[in-house]
Amino acid sequence: MNNTENKSLLTKGDLKKCWLTWLFNNQACYNYERMMGTGFLHSMVPVARKLYKEDMEKQREALRRHTGFFNCEPCFASSIVGLTAAMEEQKAQGAEIDDDAVTSVKSGLMGPMSGIGDTVIQGVIVPLLLAFAIDLAKNGNVASPVIYSLIMVAVVFGISYTGFMMGYKKGSDAILKMLENGIVNKIISGANIMGCMVLGALVANYVSVSCGINIQQSADSVFSIQEQLFDAILPKVLPLLLTLGVYKLLQKGHSSIRVMLYIVAVGVIGGLTGILG
Amino acid sequence: MSVLQAMILGVIYYLGNSSVVAGPIGYYTIYRPLVGGFLTGLVLGDPVTGTMIGATINLMYIGFISAGGALPGDMCLAGILGAALGITGGLDTEAALAIAVPIGLIGTLLWFGRLTLDSAFAHLADKFVEKGQGNKVWIADLLLPQLMLFFMTAIPCFLASYFGASYIQGAIDALGGNVLSVLIVIGGMMPALGIGLTLMYIFKGEAKIFFFVGFLITVYLNLSMIAVGFLALCAAIIYMQIKNTAKGGAVNE
Repeated sequence: MNNTENKSLLTKGDLKKCWLTWLFNNQACYNYERMMGTGFLHSMVPVARKLYKEDMEKQREALRRHTGFFNCEPCFASSIVGLTAAMEEQKAQGAEIDDDAVTSVKSGLMGPMSGIGDTVIQGVIVPLLLAFAIDLAKNGNVASPVIYSLIMVAVVFGISYTGFMMGYKKGSDAILKMLENGIVNKIISGANIMGCMVLGALVANYVSVSCGINIQQSADSVFSIQEQLFDAILPKVLPLLLTLGVYKLLQKGHSSIRVMLYIVAVGVIGGLTGILG
Repeated sequence: MSVLQAMILGVIYYLGNSSVVAGPIGYYTIYRPLVGGFLTGLVLGDPVTGTMIGATINLMYIGFISAGGALPGDMCLAGILGAALGITGGLDTEAALAIAVPIGLIGTLLWFGRLTLDSAFAHLADKFVEKGQGNKVWIADLLLPQLMLFFMTAIPCFLASYFGASYIQGAIDALGGNVLSVLIVIGGMMPALGIGLTLMYIFKGEAKIFFFVGFLITVYLNLSMIAVGFLALCAAIIYMQIKNTAKGGAVNE
């Protein structure tokens, strides 16, 4: 980026407007056809209107570039929004960037950014904080939901703003480089390890299935499969197997709704027959 | 429950679903039964019970992850209605959890309906762009879909909380203990789905073994979640350090 030669056309205010529009509207019109594409278009409106104030034809062209499909983890996606704003600005300054380049940068980054974002935020931060907060709240601690919410506000705004500004200032090369070199991979594999361990603990703490089968051994002794077999060896073995089974089904491509219906079916059959209980 | 209280609950449900008014954090806060239950409790004058019921219902959805627009279960509706019916109907938390299971299932219909109908507004946005009316894109992206969302969410939630409470106790009695216990069994298994979904993202390569480490230390040592959280952080750091030394050695030869 040769910003040193060209005076930037977008002021700090314009950028903030673009960021806030994205932050608040990315899923305002979430739809199966474009997903967050409509929200992305919306966030580009302040940019296009500023860059092509006089030229309606060019303003239309600029916005037309962003009517496509877009779907990403919203917090980390703000870096793509910032970067796109920078590309539009350079284009307006006369840099030779063709329309395809803008689209391909957008669609090229949305996969990796979702990968990082979903792993870090939905995979680690949220389940971990929720587990802490729920532990406290179950006994009626009303401060817990409030503190949880405040932390999440800080996380979302912090990541989103930092990402947006980084995307805008450093450009696509910097983001691609960052994706390629070790730092991001390190963060992801660290997050994976932490997340896996936390999820393992969640299975042990919060998934509950137990076997209700009792076998009559003799007139006065009953063999309970759960208490005398499972609990003696590995108490939470059924929740573990259930979770791994669900994971396998999802991995095979069964939709989450379908798996949920399987669980309901198993619960109905197991609950009524007394196999589970 | 007064009409006003039920209306406020409807609005809370809308806010949990809307990224606009509640801001981008709605999905992470109000949408969670932990927070939704607390807010419902505040409205109904019993925040402590609301928080406790919300937390219990949230357990069911603890690892829930929404990715690629698929949302398995409407935890926001389950949290608000579960807490509301629990408080006004005087149900215990287990019964409230049992009601929350079917509510969460039904709620997903709203989500599908919304994402399907929103496509029409995406085309409206295209039209504004083609006409060179960029300043009107907000009508298609923000105003109309949010108005639609408001009616789709606030009204059903208002009706269910206002009329639900008087019927819920009767309904549960009519269903009998069997249905209740089946629903509790289902509720106990549901967290496996959320955790399984999250595993799709992080259960990879060398991290896999740590899932079992976390499971085993919790089962055998009875550690709290906070303890496991800190241990997990240390485990991640130690693992990275060992890996770095191994790599460093290879490079230096």
